[in-house]
Amino acid sequence: MERDVSNFSLLVLIVFVMIPFTISYFYQLGLKKDILWSSIRGAIQLFLIGLILTYLFNLKPLIGIPIMLSVMITIATFHARKKGKELPNVFMTVLVGLITIEIIVLALWLSFDMVSFTPEEIIPMSGMVIGNSMVAMGLSLERMKSEFETNHGKILAALSLGATPKQASHLTVRRTLNAALIPNIDQLKTIGLVQLPGMMTGLILGGIEPIVAIKYQLVISISIFSSVSLSAIIVSMVMYRFFYNQNMQLVDFQKIKNG
Amino acid sequence: MAESIFDLKHVRKRVLKDINLSIQKGERIMIFGPSGSGKSTLLHLFNRLEDPDSGQIFYYGEPIDSYDIPQLRKKNGIVLQYPYLFPETVLDNLKYGPSLFDEWQSGNEDKLLDYVNLPKEYLDKPVDDLSGGEKQRVSLARTLANQPEILLLDEPTSALDDQNIESIEEDLMTLMDSKALTTIMVTHNLHQAKRLGTRGLFLADGMIKEEGDLPGMFDQPKTDELQKFINVN
Ligand SMILES: Nc1ncnc2c1ncn2[C@@H]1O[C@H](COP(=O)(O)OP(=O)(O)OP(=O)(O)O)[C@@H](O)[C@H]1O
Ligand SMILES: [Mg+2]
Repeated sequence: MERDVSNFSLLVLIVFVMIPFTISYFYQLGLKKDILWSSIRGAIQLFLIGLILTYLFNLKPLIGIPIMLSVMITIATFHARKKGKELPNVFMTVLVGLITIEIIVLALWLSFDMVSFTPEEIIPMSGMVIGNSMVAMGLSLERMKSEFETNHGKILAALSLGATPKQASHLTVRRTLNAALIPNIDQLKTIGLVQLPGMMTGLILGGIEPIVAIKYQLVISISIFSSVSLSAIIVSMVMYRFFYNQNMQLVDFQKIKNG
Repeated sequence: MAESIFDLKHVRKRVLKDINLSIQKGERIMIFGPSGSGKSTLLHLFNRLEDPDSGQIFYYGEPIDSYDIPQLRKKNGIVLQYPYLFPETVLDNLKYGPSLFDEWQSGNEDKLLDYVNLPKEYLDKPVDDLSGGEKQRVSLARTLANQPEILLLDEPTSALDDQNIESIEEDLMTLMDSKALTTIMVTHNLHQAKRLGTRGLFLADGMIKEEGDLPGMFDQPKTDELQKFINVN
């Protein structure tokens, strides 16, 4: 792949960024700082990642890949945890969850020879799996908190009748799972129809035959689908119990949060 | 000596400060007092929905935390102040408690509906279609389905009209008589307290300001606070 994007054309992209910036400025939409800041930050981040990737890709796979995966999982864990900071054990749940998912996915890819053990293939594909799982875990955490809040009274009623936390949370867990899985399923249904998936687009741009690109896309799409589902399941099945104390009473996180 | 079911010693919880109280088997305790005085909080303690911040609660002479929690909650059935009903239907709600213990028998629903004065056609009604008073009655029936030994009621008739209050009170009386149910009930309806209760607790500022036998205690209140409370209710 000798094709490259020239530095001049990258500069042209700045004009693109300036369009929403200018509109926002004239209509006083209040976006200006955000847009500018996030484009600059995004650009710098991407260039840095590019440099690091070049370095890591030159290391032996057995060294470079674990390093890169650990870094990705750690960052993803910190990010997903933000959505449920006030809950105990969120960090461990997300961390162990992401590691488990990555191991399962790697085992699948490697044992059936879908992906070869090179940084060029493992890192970007794992990145997609981990990134999507991170988002799914964050969403599940948020959703679970709001479900516990809306169903507070029903959960109290269930407990008061003799339900264990597991029984009392049944409805809440089910709704959290549904909410986390529906967009995931919808995405799989419209794949290739509404938008060409990112990885396929990349490969085709890079000069790979579309039919080969589609095979890779299938591997990654299905891996992402399963990982996202697993993420929601792990968070829902593990986290509900931390909404209760050991005496089967609801813990008041609102109060903890407000001091 | 009568068997003491609950003994509260220096119990504090949120607004409640230093509650000392002993409840004997078969008593029908009526709790009343201003809004925010801690009536619901006190009732929750008997079902262990909440625990005291400090102090002790004894149940049949043993610390309450030495009992299995689901069993205790089933025996000390509570009707919460707001009827939080489960989806979908009335029947689903009646079955919920007994099903947790594998004790639901079909046929139970007829008697339960009868207790709370609802027609049989209501069994398959979605709970969202019920009126406030109907919800309250389903909530009461749902607790009765667990066949509690002690009944904890938090203003169970607050959303009902006089006619329904009368019929539910009658059913409660029959129930309390036939099973010698110990009852602890929060009510702001002093006439109801007189009709149903054997002993009254007047709760204000997180303390038991006055207690006495019913219906007598309303005739000669000892404190100004209770006198005022009687005047406005
Ligand atoms: N979960 C909670 N967290 C914090 N404060 C609470 C909680 N529940 C109740 N309170 C507060 O404790 C106090 C007593 O509440 P409680 O519900 O026991 O009063 P009440 O006597 O039942 O009042 P009402 O007649 O209005 O039902 C109130 O000031 C209430 O705001
Ligand atoms: Mg109350």
